[in-house]
Amino acid sequence: MTRSGERRAGWLLVAPLCLLLLAVFVAPVALMLPTSFRTYQPGLGITSGWTAHNYTQIVTDGYLLEVLGRTFVLGVSVTAICLVLGFPLAVVLARASGAARGILTLLVVFPLTLNVVVRSFGWISLLSNRGLINQALMALGIVDVPLRMMFNLTGLIVGLTHVLLPVMVVLLAAALRALPRDVEAAAATLGTRPWKTFFLVTLPLAAPGIFAGCVLVFVLTISALVTPRLLGGPAYKVMATAIFDEFLSSLDWPTGAALAFALTLFALAVVALAGLLTRRWVAAR
Amino acid sequence: MTDEPPSLALRLIAALLFAFLLLPVAVVVLAAFSDTAYLTIPPQGLTLRWFAKVFHDPDYLAAIVLSLKLAAVATLLATVLAVPACYALHHRWVPAGETIANLLMSPLIFPAVVIGVALLQYVSLLGIRGSFATLVLAHAMIVTPYLIRTGLAGFAGMDPALEEAARVLGANRFMAFFLVVAPVIRSSLGAGLVFALITSFDEVPVTVFLLPPGQATLPVTIFTAIDQGVDPSVAAVSTLMIAATAILLVAVERFAGMRRLF
Repeated sequence: MTRSGERRAGWLLVAPLCLLLLAVFVAPVALMLPTSFRTYQPGLGITSGWTAHNYTQIVTDGYLLEVLGRTFVLGVSVTAICLVLGFPLAVVLARASGAARGILTLLVVFPLTLNVVVRSFGWISLLSNRGLINQALMALGIVDVPLRMMFNLTGLIVGLTHVLLPVMVVLLAAALRALPRDVEAAAATLGTRPWKTFFLVTLPLAAPGIFAGCVLVFVLTISALVTPRLLGGPAYKVMATAIFDEFLSSLDWPTGAALAFALTLFALAVVALAGLLTRRWVAAR
Repeated sequence: MTDEPPSLALRLIAALLFAFLLLPVAVVVLAAFSDTAYLTIPPQGLTLRWFAKVFHDPDYLAAIVLSLKLAAVATLLATVLAVPACYALHHRWVPAGETIANLLMSPLIFPAVVIGVALLQYVSLLGIRGSFATLVLAHAMIVTPYLIRTGLAGFAGMDPALEEAARVLGANRFMAFFLVVAPVIRSSLGAGLVFALITSFDEVPVTVFLLPPGQATLPVTIFTAIDQGVDPSVAAVSTLMIAATAILLVAVERFAGMRRLF
């Protein structure tokens, strides 16, 4: 085939998928942008005229500011906990071989592929006031009144850590497996203590992979809808559930659209910044 | 990483973390077989009543059918569109291939709830709210990144001499594709397909905004049921999903190997 023939065939092969993406992803998101600058009046719906109030209220309205801050705290907490808990698990997974490796991988991937609604339901059975943990604590006489572990930050952190820990483990294990085999052995031969080898050799080498895992877990945490909704209920909101309610309950689409763009911008900025930092880090060494 | 086996302390920590990962799953399964509406310790009574309730509930059955149909049609559509696109991208037939590939992957880094509300407004503007076709198109878009990733990996792992040899021996591009290229990329693409099916079947944050009135997919049905107060049949239907996931994973491990997925 000639070069121009290939070009024409290439566009014909790529175009249908690009059209799908334009029609159900790019166009809907682009059309939501003007909505985010409209005003909403209860009873009247979306009125004409433009305003930036939907965006400014996110940082001036006390309630929305709290939701924003809560989402950020949730993202940082879940990422940090997933990193600390995920590291030992990833080390075990990365060092396993043969049948053990297959079984361990299955044990990590099983919760990962299991539906998030089902997993959150499991946590409701455990964390609610009449849940298993409170029943156990009260039967043992440790507490008299049930501990509140749902509809607050605790419940969201527990639920989302469970959802995202397998993601972190899979990414960390991949980063650890990609490390050159001999460097740790070389450090050991030269008389370096194991913990020193870990902090001075393993950690810096695996840093880009660790960082990528953290960024993904953070972005997925602040974007999550199902787990925060089920474990937080309708009252304890984060950004995603606030967007959900603006669109389905209060029908204030302009505010919902502004929140949606704020969340997207937040997520994309974190991804972009992380990419920049990783390139700097790799280039610096 | 060294091949040295992990220390006892490390293995103990790993065992505890696996227990944490499997705890809610075990709780759901126990609740499904337990007689009381609320799970107690120790579980009281053994019953299959909640499963019977699920299988006699027309809403759950309709939801299962809708979920399966949606996942199958959306994955099929996405595959039919993604494989030719990967072929062209791999052969560098289009300029700026990297940019196009990144664009095709971008639904993955967008918060799903944002895509969901944007689509809700979009279908309202177009006056096509609550149609099956919209759901199919949306799900096809959502699973596209998985197919693009595994598809491109499949093409990249193929020896280019194979296709050239077929062409030299007189096969035209179509014959060469179906007789030589397709069998080579099949296993890689198969992994993407499984992932796409699971992703579509499990999808909630976009689906919930696009469902036709009175209809729901299985995860959305459970989501709504929990939101409105838990009924023990939720545990039974969740247990069915747990069993299905386990069977699917073991089958994938047996036939393709988990490495292809991760």
